[in-house]
Amino acid sequence: MNLYENIIKNNNHTETPSPYVPVMGTVERVTRVTEHERLFVIAPSNKELLNYCPGQFYMVGLPGYGEAPISITSGPGQEKEFEFCIRAVGNVTNALHRLRKGDTVFIRGPFGTGFNLEEMKGKDILFVAGGIGIVPMRSLIKAVLNDTKSYGRLSLIYGSRNPDDILYKEEFEEWKAKGLDMRLTVDKPHPTWKGNVGVVTTLIPKIEVDPARTIGVIIGPPVMYKFVILSFRDKKITDDKIFVSLERRMKCGVGKCGHCQINSSYVCQEGPVYRLKDLHSLPEAI
Amino acid sequence: MDNKKYAFITEKDFKGLVTGLIKEYKVFGTIKKDGFPAFAGITSFDELELFQSPTHLSAKEFLFPQRETLLKFNIQNKTHEPVIESGEQVIIGMHSCDIHALTLMDRVFAAGTPDPNYLSRRAKTIIIGTECFPDKFCFCKSVGTMTVEEGFDIFLHKLKKGFLVRTGSVKGEEILSRLTKSRPAAFKEIKEVEALQKVKEGSFITTLDAPAEELPGIYEKSDNSPVWDRIGAICYGCGSCNHVCPTCYCFDIKDEVKANLKEGERVRVWDGCMVEDFAKVAGDHNFRGLRANRLKHRFNRKFRYLTGKFDALFCVGCGRCSRTCLVNINIAEITNELIREHNKK
Ligand SMILES: Cc1cc2nc3c(=O)[nH]c(=O)nc-3n(C[C@H](O)[C@H](O)[C@H](O)COP(=O)(O)OP(=O)(O)OC[C@H]3O[C@@H](n4cnc5c(N)ncnc54)[C@H](O)[C@@H]3O)c2cc1C
Ligand code: SF4
Ligand code: SF4
Ligand code: FES
Repeated sequence: MNLYENIIKNNNHTETPSPYVPVMGTVERVTRVTEHERLFVIAPSNKELLNYCPGQFYMVGLPGYGEAPISITSGPGQEKEFEFCIRAVGNVTNALHRLRKGDTVFIRGPFGTGFNLEEMKGKDILFVAGGIGIVPMRSLIKAVLNDTKSYGRLSLIYGSRNPDDILYKEEFEEWKAKGLDMRLTVDKPHPTWKGNVGVVTTLIPKIEVDPARTIGVIIGPPVMYKFVILSFRDKKITDDKIFVSLERRMKCGVGKCGHCQINSSYVCQEGPVYRLKDLHSLPEAI
Repeated sequence: MDNKKYAFITEKDFKGLVTGLIKEYKVFGTIKKDGFPAFAGITSFDELELFQSPTHLSAKEFLFPQRETLLKFNIQNKTHEPVIESGEQVIIGMHSCDIHALTLMDRVFAAGTPDPNYLSRRAKTIIIGTECFPDKFCFCKSVGTMTVEEGFDIFLHKLKKGFLVRTGSVKGEEILSRLTKSRPAAFKEIKEVEALQKVKEGSFITTLDAPAEELPGIYEKSDNSPVWDRIGAICYGCGSCNHVCPTCYCFDIKDEVKANLKEGERVRVWDGCMVEDFAKVAGDHNFRGLRANRLKHRFNRKFRYLTGKFDALFCVGCGRCSRTCLVNINIAEITNELIREHNKK
């Protein structure tokens, strides 16, 4: 009869699955990475959840506490289990930190857009991570390092508050061996720290960049983006070759609750990974 | 007007219809509450009162309740069961703008990942619309929602004697023929409705000074308007405007655990973009910490952001947010101010 009749009245949605029902996962291993972060290896009971790409995220939850959006940190192509690195900051994340091997956790996803690896092939990639931004970045780095022949020069600049906050230290040798040029920096060094001191942008001028063949990727705390983007512009990397992943508050993950909205864009649907050029129309983004 | 789409029923037939519906369904209708029109459950025809002006709260709570259970979980058994709390219901007394708002909610909850909680409730809801008359806050005429062609099952136009009735669904036709008797409308009755429409059209105190299709473009150019800081300085951030708006659908999801600490529910509750914590994340970073930015966001959602996604304005001109605002922030006046600024440029 009309749209109303067809889409609304003639379907009572008894067969429509609830997007809010999570899948059970079993905690296989927990590693204390720093004082505030733990790495969880989780085997989901439904292996379809392992079908993800770097940059995507899941809603990870515990009944009674709720759910929090958490990025995938393992590389793609996992067959049994995936990894999340979680910083304890509040209600849900503190509860997740109490999980031990064998415990159960509940997961929905994957959600959002991932990084487009095809577009990065044949290019030099300059990764800039700040703080916990290394968590989603690691998934992308692993994907790229698995197939270094397909890419050009690979460089990572990673900034932390202090040397104790540096995540994934034990993997750095392997990353370097595979061809990643790594540069670390901290805001507050210890007396034994021999590396660079200062914000990530102090290291960008030191990297040799061919703007015609470089892709820049930035993930970090909200304040970091503006400054890194300026440094990228000094290097003549254009906004269509810069990718960022943005954090927002999220409740549903399915484009309804409105919490993640940046102007007209729902980060849980169109993000968290954005091409910088596409953010020009979203002034709230950065 | 096409006279085939109208039927006529007497006041007595209307009473029969409502009484019949009350026997079969949970019925919500308009009543007077503290002197103002409001939707409430009714159990007899006499409680129902049809109003010309909008209710304080919209009818969204019957389709998108202020609190609803999404899941029941059992912590011990590690189970999550989806819960769909929907039942057959009837809402009587929704106005044209309210029905337009409902069709927007339909699109939101059906789009992308469909939301069975809303959609199943919607499928089981019978909408009976009624004709209205603008008060000083209404501006439906300026946003294209003064009349309505779909989204309802039955729509009533009050005449001096009796009602002209339009049906908008097979269900509406079925109810009308089963619960009451009607006859085709007479020519002069249709003329009477048309004349009333004309009077209504000429009675708007509030109108927008630009055509509806130009509003998204005008809002697009308004990001740096001084208007936002000015109204941001007086707004309380109370969220009442979100609460009363028939097209505000943002929500929070919370877990509630029973006293036995084993079972609980994951519930969805209304939330609003005007409330301070709405866009706050860890590290005390608030992406819309300023009330000016929250107002800008809410107004842009209505006139621009969602328009790009659903090809419709999300303000239906009901005036509820303006009527309820303690500091008299009036969405039509602000929009007109933005239109004036735009025309000056
Ligand atoms: C796409 C995406 C990916 C992410 N990936 C990761 C990841 O891989 N690892 C990770 O550790 N984190 C990640 N995060 C961040 C993580 O989701 C948040 O830290 C988490 O949601 C916090 O939830 P919580 O319940 O533990 O904290 P909450 O209890 O919600 O509180 C966290 C903080 O938020 C603020 N806050 C929240 N609610 C309120 C309120 N009502 N009133 C006032 N302040 C409030 C406070 O500052 C509080 O300290 C990601 C976020 C996004 C959007
Ligand atoms: S009702 Fe008025 S004061 Fe309250 S949040 Fe809305 S605009 Fe601000
Ligand atoms: S924004 Fe205000 S006038 Fe527009 S639909 Fe919502 S409550 Fe009504
Ligand atoms: S998280 Fe709910 S809309 Fe994006």
